[in-house]
Amino acid sequence: MAFLEKLLRSKAFVVTLIVLPGLWPAWPLLRHDPSVLADPLKYVLHHLGFTACVLLAVVLSFTPLRVLFPKWGVALALNRHRRLVGVSAFVYAALHLATHLLYETGGDTSALGRVFKAAATKPFQLVGLAAFVILLVLAVTSLNAAVRWLGGKRWKNLHRLVYIAAGLAAYHQIEARKIFPVQVLWIFGPLAVLEIARIIRQRMPRSPVAAKAA
Amino acid sequence: MLIRSPKDWELPESAVTAEQIYRLRNRRDFLKSVGVGLAGAAFAPQALLAATAGFPSKENPAYPASALKPTAYEYITSYNNFYEFGTDKSEPKEYANKGWKTDPWTIEVFGLVNKPAKFDVNDLVGKLGGIEQRVYRHRCVEAWSMVIPWDGFPLAKLVALADPKPEAKFLLFTSFVDPKNAIGQRQGNLDYPYIEGLRLDEATNELAFIATGIYGKPIPNQNGAPLRLVTPWKYGFKGIKSIVKIEFTAKMPQNTWKVMNGREYGFYANVNPLVDHPRWSQASERIIGGGVFGGGRQATLMFNGYEKQVASLYKGLDLERNY
Repeated sequence: MAFLEKLLRSKAFVVTLIVLPGLWPAWPLLRHDPSVLADPLKYVLHHLGFTACVLLAVVLSFTPLRVLFPKWGVALALNRHRRLVGVSAFVYAALHLATHLLYETGGDTSALGRVFKAAATKPFQLVGLAAFVILLVLAVTSLNAAVRWLGGKRWKNLHRLVYIAAGLAAYHQIEARKIFPVQVLWIFGPLAVLEIARIIRQRMPRSPVAAKAA
Repeated sequence: MLIRSPKDWELPESAVTAEQIYRLRNRRDFLKSVGVGLAGAAFAPQALLAATAGFPSKENPAYPASALKPTAYEYITSYNNFYEFGTDKSEPKEYANKGWKTDPWTIEVFGLVNKPAKFDVNDLVGKLGGIEQRVYRHRCVEAWSMVIPWDGFPLAKLVALADPKPEAKFLLFTSFVDPKNAIGQRQGNLDYPYIEGLRLDEATNELAFIATGIYGKPIPNQNGAPLRLVTPWKYGFKGIKSIVKIEFTAKMPQNTWKVMNGREYGFYANVNPLVDHPRWSQASERIIGGGVFGGGRQATLMFNGYEKQVASLYKGLDLERNY
């Protein structure tokens, strides 16, 4: 466990963990897998969205892990990377959106208006766009200067929007398929359990941990 | 021998030479794409390859390959929606070829008909006078498209064989149930068996087709062996795969996707660029199989480009409500 803790404290290691999933679509493309090459951009599109959802769920689990296991070194090591992982979720979401626009327009920028107009009438697409806008605001205000400018309390309240973004992202992911995709449960289920446990823990009046975290 | 009178939209006699040259080139592409290699040299260009065993396929000049750009065989057979074998596009190719038997296969035709019968697939093809090749556009409700050289027979021939009674107005198609060999049926990702329906006048339209092959080869399991409905003016999910029963009914039958999600999928499922899916636009479509950056996007055509053949079926029908 000490080794894992040390590894997770390393920024280089965490950056590698974040970048590798982005390169993963290259593998079946290089292998000439026909079921991927049939519509490669769609494969990349889904993969980027999937990774953004995973990173969002992962970064949101850091705080509950620290509250529930305040002495666990791994939880503490992970919490050093909250900003890094949070911004990465935004970067993947931005790449996902850019791929969607390329996929829909075929690179023809004059078609962008049509694509956004179509998105405005489709809850599935609009919800994804709303989640992206939240992540964009949070990414911009993650700079130290923005934290100073907003002040701690306002900054914290603003960044609670991330929970709404997670809910919207989960809905968007469910709606992306014709039947309920079980992977959504694997991604957001553990987070929901952690959050419930954390809320219960923080409501326990005499817990010193709750007092500190509140 | 196919007896038919030429239609106004068919190619003129003068186009035949060019078409044959095209087909030669097309056949070479085909041989390359399926890796037949030297063995292919034994086949005469006219005969193509057998689709259902023993029945050489012949191109129907009304639906030639030269009119469209067929999608490569490997994409048609590797990018499939066949939820019986998993929900990912890559899964049917893998899981439909692990012990699931499509030969021998029996199909039952019954209900409001004068001649209910059970047929072995090969006997049926023989009875109907063999098979022909037609190159059709294929448009999925998910907004992607292919061009597929199908081999098979017109559904109208099968309907004539069954001899429907006057009160028969619809056809209910039922696919197979075999949870032991179909992973998706074990998972229960949809209500099985998969069912689909057509109006009788849709079923006897000249376009409605039962496919037994692709590119002159027997239809692969993942594409719905051995008998699969093809209605090119409708979204792909209407094309029920691996049919075991056809019942003629008086009432409009249910269909699987309408039962699963009636807000998104209806009975008609006609390709219509003006009526959006609740989650995405149907105005355009991705072309499958165009390299690493994809085949690009093209405008979707009314009735998938088959307006001339089918528009009269829907005169007076509100297509926005009857999606």
